[in-house]
Amino acid sequence: MSNSIGLLPPSNLAWLQALRQPELALSWPLAEWERVVRLARRLRLLARLAEGLTAANLMDRIPPRARRHLIAEQRLSRWRMAAVVWTLERVATMLEDAAYPCVLLKGAAYIGQGLPMAAGRLPSDLDILVPREHVSNAQARLVKGGWKTVELDEHDSRYYYEWSHEVPPMTHPLLALELDLHHNILPPIARTHVDADILLKCLRPSKWAPWQVLDPADQVLHSAAHLFQDSEARDRIRDLADLDGLLRHFGVAPGFMSRLPERAQALGLETPLALACHFCVNWFGTPIPANVLKTVESIGPGRLQRAWLLPLLSSALMPTEPDDDPPLRQELAAFALLVRYHRQRMPLRLLVPHLWHKLRAVEIAGKTDAAKIADG
Amino acid sequence: MAVNKAQSGRTLAEVHQPELERALAGQGLWIDLGAATVRVQSDSVDFAAQLQSVYDQFPFEKQGIWADMHVRIRRPRGVRRWVRPQVRFQCDGQRPFEPFPADSPLPLFEWGCNWLIGRRLNDLLLLHAGAVEKSGLALLLPALPGSGKSTLTAALSQRGWRLLSDEFGAFDPESGAFRALLKPIALKNQSIDVMRRFAPEAVFGPEFPKTRKGTVAHLAPPREAVVRRYECARPGAVILPKWVANSPTRFEALAENVVFAALAFNAFNYSLLGAVGFQAVLRLVRQCPAWQLVYSDLDEALATIESVWSEVTERNGAPVQ
Repeated sequence: MSNSIGLLPPSNLAWLQALRQPELALSWPLAEWERVVRLARRLRLLARLAEGLTAANLMDRIPPRARRHLIAEQRLSRWRMAAVVWTLERVATMLEDAAYPCVLLKGAAYIGQGLPMAAGRLPSDLDILVPREHVSNAQARLVKGGWKTVELDEHDSRYYYEWSHEVPPMTHPLLALELDLHHNILPPIARTHVDADILLKCLRPSKWAPWQVLDPADQVLHSAAHLFQDSEARDRIRDLADLDGLLRHFGVAPGFMSRLPERAQALGLETPLALACHFCVNWFGTPIPANVLKTVESIGPGRLQRAWLLPLLSSALMPTEPDDDPPLRQELAAFALLVRYHRQRMPLRLLVPHLWHKLRAVEIAGKTDAAKIADG
Repeated sequence: MAVNKAQSGRTLAEVHQPELERALAGQGLWIDLGAATVRVQSDSVDFAAQLQSVYDQFPFEKQGIWADMHVRIRRPRGVRRWVRPQVRFQCDGQRPFEPFPADSPLPLFEWGCNWLIGRRLNDLLLLHAGAVEKSGLALLLPALPGSGKSTLTAALSQRGWRLLSDEFGAFDPESGAFRALLKPIALKNQSIDVMRRFAPEAVFGPEFPKTRKGTVAHLAPPREAVVRRYECARPGAVILPKWVANSPTRFEALAENVVFAALAFNAFNYSLLGAVGFQAVLRLVRQCPAWQLVYSDLDEALATIESVWSEVTERNGAPVQ
């Protein structure tokens, strides 16, 4: 897909390089700072930038008008990160003597491994995974510990328990985060069916004793699957930055890169891996060896699929400038990708009734919101 | 700053509405609230008129070098432009909440800006309180629901106290001083008539009936408050107002733990600031004498506050001029 390594990223994404090389930010004029503060906040990368600048001891050299926003967002991030650690400690005691592995996913896993790219995240939920046969036991333990499952109507409850890879999100009256309990990383009825046993056979310890994390290659694949197969692509540069961070961090270990295509094939995640590599290399300059890229490309989507999928993803992922309205091209691309996403997630006979139900739910919720906020 | 002198000297009151409309429809208007600047763009003619009525003393600035919030108040395209028309609030390409009726862009703007301030300015400790200044010292009026905080803040702002904000006690933990977040005071229901009687010369915006909180009208900040909005104020005193119908004025000193709770647990971002927030509130509690003020008569309430202010200034050393 991308044969050339070290391409310059599109110029409107140049600021993203400062996530890795904070000193680049020192040359930004005030107008660029204003743009970056607005964009980065919307893309959930402002605190990440702040943590990079703080670690490089450069905060004092940032124009005060911009610095206050960096500090503000950094505080928000540190508060949320502290909430993650606090919540995980509480949840760990609830699952303490469970005879099955308890796994941190996504952001929680990055924090749980102390990855440098975890600094500056804004977690609002917590994703954990247990083997499918133990989900009800884990859920019962959590409920005993005060976690509550949101009330669901018949359709939604069927959706979660039969078609989904997680149980309905849980909340706790004393803990600020939402908890998502998974038994897989993609829905079991999706076209790409991931065998969770393969994931569970290669777990690694995290910094926190009871918790484990996925194999590093699987973490990359999960992140890629989440971005390219599991939801809406607009304003998701943060997920690409995560992938770039994971690839750079784990990439220094010998054998890691060549393991990626192997794991992708074992898990059936060749397409998301190929897409992740394409955008990381082209937009972030992620160093991936040429032979690995070649293998990834050969197992990824064919020429025809690339021809329509890459431009669509490119349109959808490219952030709109803060003063602009999203171009029609992006709206259409996002819609086309949404159709693709739903088609991949569910067979049509389930999808149509599901979307009909969602549409009605959105309408009802919209009316309630309007009533709630309609005041001065 | 690329603003020529003639322009920077004019206030919104001195600008013809079409000129304001053009600025709003173009690059926007930069409104400096003291501790933050909001840039607003709009295609709503109603908005231009309403904005002009309550930001009348603010400079007409149509080219700024920095804004902390970039807001658009726009009428949607499509059906909603004509059938039960609406205005939308947009910030950096996002629409954080539902639209308002098209004739109420000012409440939407005010509500939305407060929401942005409360979520974003975490470099400051944002207490939920009215804040006014006299002799360099800040008087904080923390809000409890139905406390009459806005009414009392408004009354003080019309009687020689400099308004900092009717909503945010914006404390800068670094400098140890309060900063202004100067916006029109939102008055609700009977407080609107109370203030009209109390200060007939004050400038009010239009009344918006049928909001969720009933009728809302905005009181324009006085000229002096606008001119001096960059001046900080050292912590002075805390007064918890409580309006009780037909009650005689009662004024009682409060214990430190009560004051701590009143400040910290009503704040917008106390827990988010962590240790910084705790240290800041502790400092305020130690530094500021605090009272509860139960009142029904505004003049009496004001006289009571005036009578303790010399004690407050003495406690803080010589008044700052």
